[in-house]
Amino acid sequence: MAKIPVKGFFKDRKIPLWFTIVWVIAFSIALKVLDQSVIAFMGVLFSIIFVYYTDSPKWMRLVLGGAILLLIIPLVAGENRYYMEVASQVGIYVAMALGLNIVVGFAGLLDLGYVAFFAAGAYAYGIFATSQANNFIEGNLFPLSGEWFWPFLLVGLLVAALFGILLGLPVLRVKGDYLAIVTLGFGEIIRIVFNNLDKPVNITNGPQGLTPIASPELFGFALNKPFYFYFIVLFCIALIVLANVRFEHSRLGRAWIAIREDELAAQSMGISLLHTKLAAFATGASFAGVVGVIFAAKQTFIDPTSFTLMESFSILVMVILGGMGSIPGVVLGAAFVTVLQVQLLKEFSNFLHSLQAAGVINLPSQLDPSKFQRLIFGLLLVLVALFRPNGLIPAKRNKNDIDAIKNSPYAREKLGILSRSASEK
Amino acid sequence: MAILEANGLTKRFGGLVANEDVTVKIEDGSITAVIGPNGAGKTTFFNMITGFYEPDEGDILFDGKSIKGLRPDKIAGRGITRTFQNIRLFKQMTALENVMVGVHSRLSAGILGILFNLKRVRQEEERSRVEAYQLLEYVGIADVANEAAGSLPYGIQRRLEIARALATNPKIILLDEPAAGMNPRETVEMTDFIRKLRNELGLTIILIEHDMKLVMGLSEYIHVLDYGRKIAEGTPDEIRNNQRVIEAYLGKSTSEAS
Amino acid sequence: MLSMLPQVLIDGLTLGFMYAVVALGYTMVYGILEFINFAHGEIFMVGAFVGTEVLLITDSLGALEGMNPFVAFLITLIISMAITGLLGITIERVAYRPLRNAPRLVPLISAIGVSFLLQDLVRFTEAIARNAFILNGPQLFTGKFDLGFAQIPSKSIVIIVIAIAMMVGLSLFISKSKWGIAMRAVSQDQSTASLMTINVDKVIMLTFLIGSSLGGATGVLFAQNYGSIDPFIGFILGMKAFTAAVLGGIGNIKGAMFGGVVIGLVESLAGAYMGQLTNGAFGAEYKDVIAFSILILVLLFKPEGLFGEAVKEKV
Repeated sequence: MAKIPVKGFFKDRKIPLWFTIVWVIAFSIALKVLDQSVIAFMGVLFSIIFVYYTDSPKWMRLVLGGAILLLIIPLVAGENRYYMEVASQVGIYVAMALGLNIVVGFAGLLDLGYVAFFAAGAYAYGIFATSQANNFIEGNLFPLSGEWFWPFLLVGLLVAALFGILLGLPVLRVKGDYLAIVTLGFGEIIRIVFNNLDKPVNITNGPQGLTPIASPELFGFALNKPFYFYFIVLFCIALIVLANVRFEHSRLGRAWIAIREDELAAQSMGISLLHTKLAAFATGASFAGVVGVIFAAKQTFIDPTSFTLMESFSILVMVILGGMGSIPGVVLGAAFVTVLQVQLLKEFSNFLHSLQAAGVINLPSQLDPSKFQRLIFGLLLVLVALFRPNGLIPAKRNKNDIDAIKNSPYAREKLGILSRSASEK
Repeated sequence: MAILEANGLTKRFGGLVANEDVTVKIEDGSITAVIGPNGAGKTTFFNMITGFYEPDEGDILFDGKSIKGLRPDKIAGRGITRTFQNIRLFKQMTALENVMVGVHSRLSAGILGILFNLKRVRQEEERSRVEAYQLLEYVGIADVANEAAGSLPYGIQRRLEIARALATNPKIILLDEPAAGMNPRETVEMTDFIRKLRNELGLTIILIEHDMKLVMGLSEYIHVLDYGRKIAEGTPDEIRNNQRVIEAYLGKSTSEAS
Repeated sequence: MLSMLPQVLIDGLTLGFMYAVVALGYTMVYGILEFINFAHGEIFMVGAFVGTEVLLITDSLGALEGMNPFVAFLITLIISMAITGLLGITIERVAYRPLRNAPRLVPLISAIGVSFLLQDLVRFTEAIARNAFILNGPQLFTGKFDLGFAQIPSKSIVIIVIAIAMMVGLSLFISKSKWGIAMRAVSQDQSTASLMTINVDKVIMLTFLIGSSLGGATGVLFAQNYGSIDPFIGFILGMKAFTAAVLGGIGNIKGAMFGGVVIGLVESLAGAYMGQLTNGAFGAEYKDVIAFSILILVLLFKPEGLFGEAVKEKV
């Protein structure tokens, strides 16, 4: 039996298939048996990464990953509301981070107000799926029923994309580092506006927020448990990953990376900076908008405190930690940071509280680890910048199949400028 | 016939005049050099032609039409492209992808086309991949197609930058010190290569270069800048014997300078 | 409604001069490294905490009682400037210098990280020391000057005078001293400056030292003006100070002063009158929106700032 090569374990995709399978089975059983075990849950989540690095053909890895996400997790943990809740939360952040990855990772635009687009999507659904819209639309038509959730996924996408274009048009003309400050400012403006738009006309209900937001319905069946949201989020992530992958090696993706690497050179290659940046901004925004609709439906309550600067920074940390422009990296970064926030810190905090209750230590409430967020984000950002600027899983460009190029039907004649040499000779 | 005409170009930065009343005509299919001592305003001139600086005065005609005030990407689209003095490749991309970026403006794939992976988009991609690979072959570096551009040796990066510029299918290519940092053998290779570009592809070539051997051996016409003004133009032989040019390079005697 | 005006203007000016001094820190660093030192707002915040702690400790020792308030204030300022100056150098050395040749985004990310780190470190320190992170420090200047139509708090005058003194001092230093001239040289062309045997690293260190200590001093002024401080005061204030720097033309000291005063006044006026002017539709809560909108408008229509053209030299 093959032994596990420790060196290059991750780098060269050398994890043996049997190891991954044993791992998955072991932690699935643990997850089934133990209630609210962070370790078991982390173990299953991590198995996705092992699958990614397993020494098997691509189709095999896809089947394995799909089986874990679509069969094993729902079967083993589907009954457990807690696990499903965490899993959908992780999923929501993964989806958002993948959206921001297009803006920050591919196009190199440091957007510190990304959560504004998330808010736009969430409010788009929230306003019409509660009685809120009656305040400014006559006829007592609202709240809309949960059937409307599905078309609103598209509405959220369009609203956020429109937001992205409207914000982007002025903002993206701004050069370099200024963009970070300006987007930060815009993020704050949006939050302040949502917080105060209960007058003169009550559109957002201000700081009170919106509730109860209708749960999605499918053929009259209410999808109101974390179990269902798990699948909705998963489906959404699948689409966003697919979009990321397609963009990455497309005309647009290359243009994004080109302006990230060198704006001047990109321009002299005929790339329009504004159009290309707008495309990145709008695409990233539209993903956040879709996720916003899902978030609003899942929480059934939203208010401006869900859309603070810290949220924008959390998502940024996920992208940077995972690896800017690296799709698997960003997924890992998002999963890690979310689990850290919602799980590990809370566990650690509970542990310290139990010590305190037992009189072992004296813990000022400000030192509660659940409030460590800024410290940890700060440390992560500085350490990653200093020691691993490309993140946990650095992005790498695909190698093209040279033989396929040589055998392409297009290779029979000289293309582009070289066709001149053929005609002149 | 003149393919490019710069008429009375002036560019100021604050109090500094980088180019003053520079008038240059470039013949279609010629190899022209722009020379001058350090700080003479050669790169500023290139930057105005390619749209990175907008001239304060004067006009630029390309094929008889004004391109003054157009953005660099528009000018690239019209058929004027360039390389940079301090090579500016997209370092994290592979060599092949760098060249594919050059094909960008001749492709049409939009957001939706890419998302739905339409047949048209797939064909366009394949075609541009082939074109990029042909260009790498043409400049003689096809064997590094899949290497990251930033990791390539200097001489290969120079060639890659030219291949990338060729991918925009230009009529004019501006080369900013193409032989900088090269040893004599590499310089000779580069000279032959530039001549081949003109002869085989019918390109008009404008280059800035300090290596006088290369300039004199390669170019058919030379413009000389000094302190932002054009002080001479002519064939290599004329320039070689021009008193003002010699002064500009060797420095004037103190009495004349005051 | 107009009876409030003098008070509103005084508040605006006081705030504006504080923005102006903090803006100097951004402008100096940006002038040399073309890098937004995100953590500068937090250095200001640390300055406020150091100053307040100095006063609280002195007070608890019973020493503040008999002391001349100006002496106490000066000592506080000096201690706070020394500590924040050192902090600035340390941050530069540890978190920015190794990244000087890294891609553009990386140092910015590091700066954002430092910013968060400082916020929580201060919060933890205060939580351990005082079991609270909102501090109320002793007020040294409580008097008021009565001008008949308005009363000017003496602290406002102290703050404005000190802020102006710091800015004048910095201007003189940069235009007259050997190191000031070296700073200007480095900001114009680093490689040429280093050929002229200017030690670029040292100049950058000096820039951080001066910028940070000025920021720290402003923190002390802030604490005196508002009485209460928390670890999060630096972030938004820093952004507004940066707006001031951009408005005045980045790299320009007079511009920063002007920009700071404009932002301070606009904010103060908006806070006081916006509700009345719009019949309650949009109230004081939109004052931050106005400051950020100014930033965006300036960057769009006059990115070199109001004074960017007039003075070519960068700090």
